[in-house]
Amino acid sequence: MRKSWRTLVALELVLGLAMLSGGAAPSAEAQAQPIVIAVPVGLSGVNSVVAPAVVQSAELAVEELNAKGGIMGRPVKLMPLDDESGPAGAVKAFNTAIRQHKADAIITMETSAARNAGAPIADRAKTLFIYTSFYEGRACGKYLYVNAWVPEQIVAPLVKFMTDEKKVKKWFVLGSDYAFGRGLIEPAKKAIAGLGGTILGEEYQPLQQSDWTAIISKIRAANPDGIMYATSGGGPNIDFMKQFKAAGLKMPVGSLSIDELTAEQGGNAAEGVYYTGDYFTGIDNAENKTFLEAMKKKFGANLKTPNSLSEPQYDGIHAYAMAVEKAKSTDADKVAAVLPTIVFKGPRGAVQMNKQHHAPLPVYLAQVQADGKTKIIKSFGLVDPGNQCPNLK
Amino acid sequence: MYTTQLLDVVTTAGVLYIVAVGLLVVYGVLKIINLAHGAFLAMGAYAGVLTTWAGWNPWTALLLAAVMGVAVAALVEWRVLRALYARPLDTILATWGLNIIVVQILTLYFGREIHFAESAIAQPISVAGVTYSQYRLVLLLIAVALGVLVWLVMQRTQIGIVAQAVIMNEELAQALGINTRLVRFVTFCLGAGLASLAGALLTPLVSVHPNLGVPWLINAFMLVLVAGVSLGNLALAALVLGGAQVLVSSYGNPVLGSLTIVILAVIILRFRMITI
Repeated sequence: MRKSWRTLVALELVLGLAMLSGGAAPSAEAQAQPIVIAVPVGLSGVNSVVAPAVVQSAELAVEELNAKGGIMGRPVKLMPLDDESGPAGAVKAFNTAIRQHKADAIITMETSAARNAGAPIADRAKTLFIYTSFYEGRACGKYLYVNAWVPEQIVAPLVKFMTDEKKVKKWFVLGSDYAFGRGLIEPAKKAIAGLGGTILGEEYQPLQQSDWTAIISKIRAANPDGIMYATSGGGPNIDFMKQFKAAGLKMPVGSLSIDELTAEQGGNAAEGVYYTGDYFTGIDNAENKTFLEAMKKKFGANLKTPNSLSEPQYDGIHAYAMAVEKAKSTDADKVAAVLPTIVFKGPRGAVQMNKQHHAPLPVYLAQVQADGKTKIIKSFGLVDPGNQCPNLK
Repeated sequence: MYTTQLLDVVTTAGVLYIVAVGLLVVYGVLKIINLAHGAFLAMGAYAGVLTTWAGWNPWTALLLAAVMGVAVAALVEWRVLRALYARPLDTILATWGLNIIVVQILTLYFGREIHFAESAIAQPISVAGVTYSQYRLVLLLIAVALGVLVWLVMQRTQIGIVAQAVIMNEELAQALGINTRLVRFVTFCLGAGLASLAGALLTPLVSVHPNLGVPWLINAFMLVLVAGVSLGNLALAALVLGGAQVLVSSYGNPVLGSLTIVILAVIILRFRMITI
């Protein structure tokens, strides 16, 4: 009896203390309440090769912001979530971000299917959404901003270069048979026709099929001056180029689907291929050097090589931070209003999302070298995204 | 144009034959479809990556691939499959499980990204007035050599003749004192070794990633269904189905072409007479 009474007192004391400290906490936390940036990204599924690099870019940007005292004195909290590279996962991830974690903004690189599923959720919840992946274009929304390329920005410059400098008049175009492949070959055909070129053949290969023999024989029979192709990302680029070269074909090749990492992993397979993009590790400016050094220092041996799908994530978070500082609020309407006026000078150069929620971007021409590394051979300067969302300002 | 198409047809048949022969050997003797065939293909392809890292001659990848395939197959047959032969449906589950395990181990170690394997032959060659991929022609020769070799093993060696006895009537073979357990063990190892070898042979054509076996497994599966247990039939099936795929892709388009093998397989199965 005595013993239980003492226990009760002890319990009371502990509870009382807990309540006291609990009561004191909110005022101290209020000013330091973090700004939450959610990153729903394909940690599993088809995007799982690139997703870790995207998260690393985001981590560096957030670390830099917090080192300067956060945004408006509030710390920044990063919330990476798995969207499973698809629409079902994106719906879950966006709802978790907005409802459970009260995200102030969603800034991420995703598949188009995941973006199309997630964007309406962010829109209904009035949450700012900065999309940092290049894509097929024409995704519009009041709270949706895009800081990466659309086909207008990289296809036309590549076609023009090959027409003018490689004297390609007769083309053969080919791609993987899905939205992105066909979505990039369409503007390429328009650009070719616009420059007076002719198209000798147009072929699409099913996604799972890795033997390109039939198409390669058709190319040989058509004997074009040059090739423009858009497979799905990664491996299929290397499959096609290996077989193309082994067949003894030598005409210049422009690629709309290869990236720096794939080219390097493919060894000498893609040697000579021309491609355009807004970000390469070889971009020669102070911001890019600082960025790459900071990434190396932060992640060391675990660093995933920054690429054109992961670098815009870094720009996007910094642009958001500047917009919040300028708007003096995290309110989505106020931030969205000032976002088009924000210029962030990052590794790609100065990026401003001032063209119908899209950004004119610095575009470079690059060529894959014998060791698989990419060399920048030309800069096209700022290239306009064109009319992406005519109904938005 | 016709020369190129002829070459496309025969080399495609050669590639299909190389990929499918391991599956056929296992199906013929063990009466099970080895759904881990795709994983063994992938494993063989990674043997090419390992020899590239080590700086060895690309041809050594073939040996390494075969050794890796046989080693894994021996372990799996001994610890898992042996207990399941009386339950054929469960072997489907077991080999599919093995497929997932091998692919996941490859993913854990190498990652999902593609890898580079040095090609032994990357130059084209001139044949009858057309420039053609030399490696595809070499593959055709290898396919023929493999076919003859496996045929010789089945017809001229003790283990082959014993295996044929098991194919024809397993109970009777067992009653005659044939060690069917050993025959099954050796056959499964041989089939898996051939699959890994095929994977290593594919690396000059395609990029290496953990799931590279999947599309090939499907085609190999169709070929084996059509061919039954005969090596000759398999060669014929590879030529007819692969040839049709190439021709439909050339005169139609590759999207239709990729359907050809499946559709033809269904039609042939519908009208084929039972000939085992």
